[in-house]
Amino acid sequence: MDNSLSSANATAVAAKKQLSSNFFKKGVTVAILSGMFYGLYTAFMTLGMANGVWADWYGVNNAALSAFVITYMLGALGSALNDTLSALWCIGIAAFKGKLGDYFRTLKTKPGRVMIFAALLGGPIASTAYVVALQMAGSIVIPITALCPAIGAIMARILFKQKLTPRMLLGIAICFSAALMIGSTSMSADAPPNLLLGICIAFICAFGWGLEGCIAGYGTSMIDYEIGITIRQSTSGLSNLLILVPIMAMLAGNVGLAPSLVVQAVTSGPAIIWFVVSGFFAVFAYSLWYKGNSMCGAALGMACNGAYSFWGPFFCWLVLGVFAGMEGWALPPIAWVAAIVMALGILIIAMNPLDLFRRKEA
Amino acid sequence: MKPLNYAILKHFTKVKEACADDVIEALKKDYGHFKALKKPAVIEAIMTGEANGLLEETRYDLDQKGELRVYYRAHEEGAATINNYIPD
Repeated sequence: MDNSLSSANATAVAAKKQLSSNFFKKGVTVAILSGMFYGLYTAFMTLGMANGVWADWYGVNNAALSAFVITYMLGALGSALNDTLSALWCIGIAAFKGKLGDYFRTLKTKPGRVMIFAALLGGPIASTAYVVALQMAGSIVIPITALCPAIGAIMARILFKQKLTPRMLLGIAICFSAALMIGSTSMSADAPPNLLLGICIAFICAFGWGLEGCIAGYGTSMIDYEIGITIRQSTSGLSNLLILVPIMAMLAGNVGLAPSLVVQAVTSGPAIIWFVVSGFFAVFAYSLWYKGNSMCGAALGMACNGAYSFWGPFFCWLVLGVFAGMEGWALPPIAWVAAIVMALGILIIAMNPLDLFRRKEA
Repeated sequence: MKPLNYAILKHFTKVKEACADDVIEALKKDYGHFKALKKPAVIEAIMTGEANGLLEETRYDLDQKGELRVYYRAHEEGAATINNYIPD
């Protein structure tokens, strides 16, 4: 009797260990995949913005767009198209999984409103900054935007009184030194004229996403991640399309430019097809980021996701350089080194190896 | 009607402790037609709540079929957070 009881106990203990270990491994896998999808969505969105009507806007410019429109408004438009198409994918996936009813119910609740707020930070503000920075300085900005876990850690300290340990501060210092290494390439003679400004704008993006990760992490402990991402992409896509793009058109002195450019971009077949692809990858880039954060803690989740500092340039080189045969997507060696250093720094900020050990012991 | 994930968390503020099967049984009446009311998804939602400090594990054993059964509860702070964000 005692033997069978202790054998049952041992089986239960082993099964419990397995459950905890599987949950943890799934969380890490999901968070790493989010970084890879991030790189893929970046590459295909950039490909979309290099084809069809975009090739004229950024190239010969027969449409005679002003420098302001080309630099700022097109970035917002690219981001708006990507997020709106991504929202359509999300709604389709939610409908398929029978979660559409919960999506509308969640929108009316407090965690739902928190998610909308996080989406506004990460969407209109950060995503647009990302696209503008990418256009100005190329994929070199991607490792800078990967500073968002560092900024997330600082904001979590200020907003939610979370711990900021010497280990995390060390990681932040490593990340900033890596950013300086990247910045140093702008001092070389053949640097693009907008490189430095592009890098500065990339920091705005890192700030927005850091804050988004820290706030949305709080929301996704209660909201299903697939509903969370549907809220994120629909908020971000619509606010970009209906508010930000028209505001930029107003600043450019011609409100009519907004619907005109949207229609041209949407009807440009060779470009929009790549936005459909990038929107699909963006679904997983963000939903798996939220899911990873909520499963293994925002700190570790964001560190694994932060590997997009590799995946971004990697997929840009693969898709734009190798597949599309475009020049200029190879990074200088120092940027690759800096990306590795930055990824290490992010890991040190976000992950205490002792936590891993404790998880396994539990 | 609340979103399913909210109802799962909210259940823990109303009982002393519960396992995934208890939650499914309790929510079957209102959420039985939801595709997501499946044991693996419910376990994941509960463990996510635990990872974020809303719930805590109380005990575990094997059920009659020899399957692992883990019980959780919402501690005072977790219950307060859940009730603050998800009112009745």
